[in-house]
Amino acid sequence: MQGNIACAEGALAAGCNFFGGYPITPSTEVAEHMAIKLPKKNGTFIQMEDEIASMASIIGASWTGARAMTATSGPGFSLMMENIGYAVMTETPCVVVNIQRGGPSTGQPTMAAAGDMMQCRFGSHGDYSAIALCPSSVQEMYELTVKAFNLADRFRVPVFLMADEIIGHMRERIIIPDKVEHIPRRPLAPGVLPFHPEDDLVPGFPEFGKGFGVHVTGLTHDERGYPCATNPKLHEQLVMRLYNKIEHARKEIADYVVTNPDAETVFVTYGSPARSVEQVIHDAAGEKIGHLRLKMVWPFPEHAIAEFPNAARFIIPELNLGQVAREFDRHTRVPVIQVPKLGGDLHLPAELKKLAGVAA
Amino acid sequence: MSYEDWFRQDRLPHIYCAGCGNGTIINCTLEAIDEMDWKKEETVFVSGIGCSSRAPGYIVTDSLHTTHGRALPFATGIKMAKPGFHVVVFTGDGDLAAIGGNHFIHACRRNIDITVICMNNQIYGMTGGQGSPTTPVGALSTTTPFGSAEPAFDLCELAIAAGANYVARWTSYHVKELTKAVKVGMETPGLSFIEARVQCPTNYGRKNKFKQVLDQVEYLRSHSMLRQKYLQHEERGEPVPDATIVIGEFIKRGRPVMGLPR
Amino acid sequence: MKIEIDESRCKGCNLCIAGCPYKIFQAGKKANRKGILVPLLDRPERCTNCRLRHLYGRVLCGVCLMTCPDQAIRFREERPGETVKVAIEY
Repeated sequence: MQGNIACAEGALAAGCNFFGGYPITPSTEVAEHMAIKLPKKNGTFIQMEDEIASMASIIGASWTGARAMTATSGPGFSLMMENIGYAVMTETPCVVVNIQRGGPSTGQPTMAAAGDMMQCRFGSHGDYSAIALCPSSVQEMYELTVKAFNLADRFRVPVFLMADEIIGHMRERIIIPDKVEHIPRRPLAPGVLPFHPEDDLVPGFPEFGKGFGVHVTGLTHDERGYPCATNPKLHEQLVMRLYNKIEHARKEIADYVVTNPDAETVFVTYGSPARSVEQVIHDAAGEKIGHLRLKMVWPFPEHAIAEFPNAARFIIPELNLGQVAREFDRHTRVPVIQVPKLGGDLHLPAELKKLAGVAA
Repeated sequence: MSYEDWFRQDRLPHIYCAGCGNGTIINCTLEAIDEMDWKKEETVFVSGIGCSSRAPGYIVTDSLHTTHGRALPFATGIKMAKPGFHVVVFTGDGDLAAIGGNHFIHACRRNIDITVICMNNQIYGMTGGQGSPTTPVGALSTTTPFGSAEPAFDLCELAIAAGANYVARWTSYHVKELTKAVKVGMETPGLSFIEARVQCPTNYGRKNKFKQVLDQVEYLRSHSMLRQKYLQHEERGEPVPDATIVIGEFIKRGRPVMGLPR
Repeated sequence: MKIEIDESRCKGCNLCIAGCPYKIFQAGKKANRKGILVPLLDRPERCTNCRLRHLYGRVLCGVCLMTCPDQAIRFREERPGETVKVAIEY
């Protein structure tokens, strides 16, 4: 099965019933597959006029209780930024799949990159925290899409599935489980103000059509949802809550795979470069080479670094100029070696072996 | 019930300047909705950014105050996900015709079953009176200090060309007619576009020699011409005075519609 | 039934003056506590809606209600015992 199709299948398994999209290479297959499958499942597929509208439509649909998603690539992702900020501010659960391609601008439509890792974290204006998942196989494309929906509904945020062209267009055999986990949205308790947070800082969801009469605005709002844009204290409270609801759960939701925790040389990867590193470890079975594979890059799991107490150096191969390596560097005193790569090719296992000091 | 019951009483009075026509348009819309017997929980108001777009905040139903120009795609999402909902979009001229122009023509093309009410004050009111795509040639604004040089959009003709099922234009003076037009728009399946020309005394009037609010309303009244009369003029080849506001029902047709309950 | 202007909402724009066919609304002369010239009512008993609403069982005219951008005008039933002025048409 192709990665993009696996993503669409994962979404359907997770109960996605609304897809608003716009064609863009290399993510189009997700939309195409949803266009075939959704109507049969009583869902709605709509091709919007641009990515701004796609993002807008899924936010609108999400407020009616739908599990909504869209899929795009770099240029479309840039267009979505405005409404992603809106989804953050209004706490709208939705899933944005970004099959990354070479940038800036139109760049390389059919080649892989991971150049949007910082954009998904900091792309929209203002301060917020984001959740970004990075699959490195077709199987994970399926699993992490399901997970993205559950995280989105739990934290009421837009969740990003940051795959790349290699994973999106790769074909692999996958195992589709009979049943997937489903964490439903917590509805708003009667008599509670629509934006009054519960203990986990997430308010209950006042779905449209249930008689809550909620006013949803991108302006700074109080717990009633009414705009109150000139109150400094209220704004700070609101933004800190939006930030902390994810940051406080950072350890709990972290998702990574640790290989050889007592190694001195440790590779840190996410997305497709993980595959090259797995080849290196496979080839150099005798030597201790560690591997920290992040399935969730944001919020950044800095506590994962402590899983490698003997680490003497971290090698971070990335399909960009070190976007996540820089973040990693902030959290450790151990030397970090960046292995940036642009152009769309994956790191060859041979290059990585050389860096790790393993005989090729 | 009356239109008063649709207001969030705890939020009134609203933020509009004294003499602003937007309040009138909200009254007319709510009166029409009241006559439609829609349920509050099945009605959703959507808006973008601008003076007009603050309107849903004063209405008791579920409402979505979105990003600049994007009200129509948000409304499309809501209507497609829940076709049973009644979706009404409040928008302004800058919101709809400038930043949201693309969304507007596509919503008309899809002919999605929503009602769009555009409060056209010919200026960007909330940001302090900048020229908009509907500012008439020669009109003064903060960004057209020597008179607007660009031709203005005719939003109704645009909506017709793009495929809306119902198109009408009235002004804030014609409250009864506007209420009726909004009601007919809501009854008509497909996209109904009602342009309401409103006065903006603070930003438009002050710069363009309307000393009093009433002067501007009087201008709207005296420069209005019913569409039937306008067409007669056109047929006879008689010249129509400049700055005529053509009012009335422009079109009511039955193009295929999206977003109807299955 | 009588017309009432809610002073807490009126912003003194005088739009009601333009709408009323009976010219019941007149420009206010004295500023209220908020500094707003709230329009005065000139013989409001002439209002069609106030006189005949109960007879016809529906809203008649009501242009001032619709026009008032600040939702400050409303029709109110007289309280029991309240004196009612009646306009007689010849």
